[in-house]
Amino acid sequence: MAVTRNGHMSEPVMMYAMHTAQRLGCAVLTVHVDTLPAYNLRRRSRRFAEAVEESIAQFRENVKDSGLIVEHLCESGRVGDVVSRLCRAHRRIEFVVLDKGIRLEEVARQSPVPVFPVLCNQQGSFHTALSLPAMKKGGFTMSVNRKRHMKNCMLFGTLTAALYATIFTYQDLVVTYFSKGGVFALLPVATVLAVSYFHGNFTSSFWSAMGIEASKKETAKKVTPAHAVVDGVTRVSRPDTRPRVQMNA
Amino acid sequence: MHGSIGDVIQFIDLNVYTVLFLFLVGFIGGLVSGFIGSGGAFVLTPGMMSLGVPGTVAVASNMCHKFPKALVGAVKRYKYGQVDIKLGLIMGVFAEIGVQVGIMIQKTVLDKWGQAGSNLYVSIIFVLVLVIVGSFVLRDALGMKNADGATEVKSPTVAKRLQQIELWPMITFKTANIRISLWFLIPVALATGMLAATIAVGGFIGVPGLMYIIGVTSIVASASELVVAFVMGLGGTLIWAYYGMVDIRLVMIILAGSLFGVQLGAIGTTYVKDYMIKFVMATIMLIVAVSRLLALPKYLSELQLISINTVMLSIMTHLSFGVMCLALLIGASIILANLFKARRLEKLAARNI
Repeated sequence: MAVTRNGHMSEPVMMYAMHTAQRLGCAVLTVHVDTLPAYNLRRRSRRFAEAVEESIAQFRENVKDSGLIVEHLCESGRVGDVVSRLCRAHRRIEFVVLDKGIRLEEVARQSPVPVFPVLCNQQGSFHTALSLPAMKKGGFTMSVNRKRHMKNCMLFGTLTAALYATIFTYQDLVVTYFSKGGVFALLPVATVLAVSYFHGNFTSSFWSAMGIEASKKETAKKVTPAHAVVDGVTRVSRPDTRPRVQMNA
Repeated sequence: MHGSIGDVIQFIDLNVYTVLFLFLVGFIGGLVSGFIGSGGAFVLTPGMMSLGVPGTVAVASNMCHKFPKALVGAVKRYKYGQVDIKLGLIMGVFAEIGVQVGIMIQKTVLDKWGQAGSNLYVSIIFVLVLVIVGSFVLRDALGMKNADGATEVKSPTVAKRLQQIELWPMITFKTANIRISLWFLIPVALATGMLAATIAVGGFIGVPGLMYIIGVTSIVASASELVVAFVMGLGGTLIWAYYGMVDIRLVMIILAGSLFGVQLGAIGTTYVKDYMIKFVMATIMLIVAVSRLLALPKYLSELQLISINTVMLSIMTHLSFGVMCLALLIGASIILANLFKARRLEKLAARNI
């Protein structure tokens, strides 16, 4: 059973569940748990349901040719309670795999079967990810970062466009007031500061979304002191992108 | 008082050509500024004036676009750990005083020798400073390049000696990794401000001053110069905006391009070796010096110190502006070429791991 509290199950969990099930000859039960069913009832629930549908569709797409049996469930409540209930209802659950954002202790306390959280390097801090050059080759990190930058790009691009549109639509009025001088001097200063925030974030995300980012060597240099020095030898984490499990036993 | 000046100012009408020109010059200027800390703005004032923008509005709008650009560049480079905020702010405060001194000198020259005398004074300062400092920086950059592996950061002899003098108050700059007396920082900052008030690009003194007198690396010097430019730009903008001289439309168009450029320039600094920043800076400085040298006969002729025919003068004036644009273009090309080359090599190296 693979459990997530997010609308979209993360790719490492999906892949781990799929590959393990194939190796062991088991079926997969994916469970999306809505942990805040009462919060912002209509809008959030609708968006959560949409995300779950997308996630399920992606899982189905991934297992399409593998012949794997996959069941999907959508539950609500505490993750621990849900896992406990399902393990008792579905007698044949062998173990539980947890997605990011779920605390191992919370589930392990109530689960009658072993629980494994999937730890993935990509979930680590941004700097740590950047300090491992080989990881950047993995499509997952790149795609997530790209998506984030694209999202920022769209958001700040829209805000910048709105600001520019306002100024140029009412340019006569704007020029009249902005060139009045005196206290009105604060108007152009405030405007350019707003531009530097919105447009600055937009341009930064734009180049990142285009894949033009700072040298990894440079960033790695900056985070080097963060590595622990043990017995006079600096130990650097191995560049391993594989998802890992951690036992609660 | 401010109202009366604002009332007589005519802001230009914008058309596609104007917008495109300002956007492109803004982008290239931003690229250079993001990389060497300053130097992108000097084409904008004459550029805007060539579009029919009144001189004061051009200077004010240029100043108003400079500080948000410097802010964005400084924030970006701060993320790369290149900015010494303390150094930038202290320099900025004293540079602001330098600006006021520079303006006073300008006014004195203007009163004594008129507009042509003032222009001649500006051009001579331009040529002198750029040739002297530019050739020194170029020599150093080429020396470092020839020594190849000499990316090892060594403090220049002058800076080393100055750092050893314990003169109260001693200030420690953590990012720049230096400890020096404030009394050595003040002249560099004042000169930066004075040059900014005279030729609009204080960084041509500020960055080399930080590198060779204070002993900061070129990466940290060019990044911290952005903080200085922000402080000076903000102060200058408030004064110009108080008199209603800022044309916000021009500023926003230039910013639209320059913020793209400044981000790219800042990214570029993470790929290149230390000497490349010096090399780009020296190249731009020396080409701009040639440009100003071509403008000198016009002012000499206006002062009736030499006689030269008007056709020739017109050609030289146009040539001067053209060479100035060329300086910016060459600087931008070197930055872009190095950025993409280094990126390609890094990707190749990553693939081979």
